[in-house]
Amino acid sequence: MSPQSTTAHRTEFSPERMAKFHEYAEEYPNKRSALMMVLRLAEEEFGSITDEAMEIVAGLCNVSVAHVQGMVTFYTHFKRPFHGKHRFMVCATLMCALEKNTDAALDQIKARLGIAPGQRTHDGLFSCEKVECLADCDKPPVVQCDNEHFCSMKGAVLDQYLDKLLKEEGKSAAEYKAKSPVDMDPRVPTLPAHYNFPGETETGARKTENKDPYLKAGEGALTTNVPGPLATPFTVPVADGVNAKGAPSNNRPGHDSAGNFSNPASNGKHGAKHG
Amino acid sequence: MADAQTPAAAPTPAPAPEPKPKVPFSPILLKHINEPDSHTLAHYAARGGYETAKAHIGITVPGDLIKLVDDSGLRGRGGAGFPTGKKWSFLAKGTGKPIYLAVNGDESEPGTFKDRYILERDPHQLVEGVILTCYAIGSKHAFIYLRGEFILGYQRLEAAVQEAKAKGYVGKKIFGKDADLTITVVRGAGAYICGEETGMLSSIEGGRGYPKIKPPFPAVSGLFGCPTIVNNVETISAVVHIVKNGPAWHKQWGTEKSPGFKIFCLSGAVKKPGIYEVPLGITMREMIEVHGGGLKDGRKLKAVIPGGLSAPVLTAEMVDKCTLDYESLASLGSMLGSGGITVLDEEVDMISAIYNTMRFYHHESCGQCTPCREGTGWLEKVAHRFHHNDGHQGDVELLGDIAKNMRGRTICVLADAAAMPMQSYLQHFKKDFEAKVKETAFVEKQRTYRDEITPTAKSITATGAGPSALDVGSNQGSR
Ligand SMILES: Cc1cc2nc3c(=O)[nH]c(=O)nc-3n(C[C@H](O)[C@H](O)[C@H](O)COP(=O)(O)O)c2cc1C
Ligand code: SF4
Repeated sequence: MSPQSTTAHRTEFSPERMAKFHEYAEEYPNKRSALMMVLRLAEEEFGSITDEAMEIVAGLCNVSVAHVQGMVTFYTHFKRPFHGKHRFMVCATLMCALEKNTDAALDQIKARLGIAPGQRTHDGLFSCEKVECLADCDKPPVVQCDNEHFCSMKGAVLDQYLDKLLKEEGKSAAEYKAKSPVDMDPRVPTLPAHYNFPGETETGARKTENKDPYLKAGEGALTTNVPGPLATPFTVPVADGVNAKGAPSNNRPGHDSAGNFSNPASNGKHGAKHG
Repeated sequence: MADAQTPAAAPTPAPAPEPKPKVPFSPILLKHINEPDSHTLAHYAARGGYETAKAHIGITVPGDLIKLVDDSGLRGRGGAGFPTGKKWSFLAKGTGKPIYLAVNGDESEPGTFKDRYILERDPHQLVEGVILTCYAIGSKHAFIYLRGEFILGYQRLEAAVQEAKAKGYVGKKIFGKDADLTITVVRGAGAYICGEETGMLSSIEGGRGYPKIKPPFPAVSGLFGCPTIVNNVETISAVVHIVKNGPAWHKQWGTEKSPGFKIFCLSGAVKKPGIYEVPLGITMREMIEVHGGGLKDGRKLKAVIPGGLSAPVLTAEMVDKCTLDYESLASLGSMLGSGGITVLDEEVDMISAIYNTMRFYHHESCGQCTPCREGTGWLEKVAHRFHHNDGHQGDVELLGDIAKNMRGRTICVLADAAAMPMQSYLQHFKKDFEAKVKETAFVEKQRTYRDEITPTAKSITATGAGPSALDVGSNQGSR
């Protein structure tokens, strides 16, 4: 993650990536068709495809956030926030699984990092998953991690690689043995609270004279602190007229420190528009 | 290659009515892959690269190029084996819409890893093929779709396109002639279904990789509703050599209906797995024993998957009769497919293997068609029961029934690709299935089965959290 993204909600890529986007936009017949590549830009920019990144991509490619979310959940190779920083992908298709090659790799990963397929270490640094054929079937097991491709990845080679990563992160196998891992959950989190649904007021609160059977009287008031609509790409059209050089991204004052929607703290300043 | 070293040394008296003289063969597409820097323009130019394109662009009539490729009998190397020249001639003409070329470098068929070598080690060959193909079909824009996992391949291909652009081979007025060409490299992101041609087009259009119903075929209405030709990386690379050397040269190898040469990917229990470029029509035994060096550790052959995971499996007896061409494999009820040959030895548990296979298809079904989405799921679940020695009475028939009902009822042929291996395993290894049918109380089985398979909130974890076949035991902790 770039340091910027951890401090403020962002509505644009960095200038270099915006320039790249404009390159794509010129080459493809329409902006939507550049989506696959623009999502890769988002992946590079944010380290994984966060909600924030999806909003930016939706704005750039003139599609709804839902469409982008649909893409990201369909294609398994995109890196998502629930993945570890170092994401181990171990091929589990027949050619690799023969002679227990897949298992050998998975067991070694488990021994060092304490994670089984589908899990992430407690600190989010490492994750492991089984994937389907990685197209190098003559040299099993095939493993990918950190945009690198490894074949015959078991035994000493894999152990060395794991040790190297552990050392880089200043971690030890003992730590991961002691702390239990987390199951990764690929489901899309519930929509961020600042999205306006029908029946919600502009500030995001439900009308108190609600007829919603699920809301008891008075409960509506509790939600008045929900931040107003964000200046997402919906409200700041980032279409054809975008400055090609890419302006420095706007920092959003008052947004939560995580820079994403997972924690829309009850902070009234969110309604501020900009752009 | 054994053939290359001993040219015409063994003129085996073939019993066939008109034996084709055995022409020595040495690799063509893969000739340079082991040389250092083979991916650079300098290397490619030094071995006569782009000369063919230079000689034809703006000089030859495009129709003649199509005819030349048609005459050569080149068949698609992506799986279906459709004659390439014929496909090109089906292109809708005079629509006023732009024509696109979409090169299929998704290479997601398990057991196949040939395009990887072309992309990583000889990308200029592909770029030249794209230039020639686009000129022949009148396209000004080509998309090359690579699977997202090809990281080096993407970098090298992108660099090759840029190099070609700098030289004026790609871009406006290529080779100084009145022809324009844009090449766009698109990365996929881990979906097998984007290898299916219309699925790939959906992905290039910026959507989920949902295949579209055919007809209309892409040649009539494909990418962005415009006429589009979809070809595999290997097919397009072969075009360069065919245009350079002529159809007769290409036809000197292979059989009448499958002329030419093809890259085969050998994996599994052989001594020397890897990629081998050979003339079509050699025997499967030669491939396994001569090129692959025979089976590892003196093991015995049990079965062979001849054309990627989707191809129906061959038993050892069928392997003896099999030659590597489209007709022979079709007559054995299988297919040449993408040329991914996987050798299974006696030690492989076929039930485990089919469970692993079904898990793959269930994971990769795009979910548009009910027979495929549900069928692959049920095939996996029932195979899972067998995998855990817990087949129910009637499950063998159930598997056959599900598979039968999946075929020919869906938008794309992924459903068939899943059903075909299952049917072939049922046909040839029925005993293995029957041995795993137990006769304990049904209710009890159902309960254990449900506990294992029903995804609870906890077990809906990221991709592939379930046990993989062929490794009973080691992953049990993960669920
Ligand atoms: C489920 C499915 C997966 C496929 N995967 C690939 C693939 O990975 N690579 C490929 O070249 N063709 C693949 N194909 C075949 C393509 O649909 C198409 O036939 C091929 O790209 C055409 O090129 P060709 O005529 O050069 O063979 C697949 C087909 C299906 C039904
Ligand atoms: S057959 Fe399967 S993969 Fe193909 S379109 Fe239908 S659901 Fe999708």
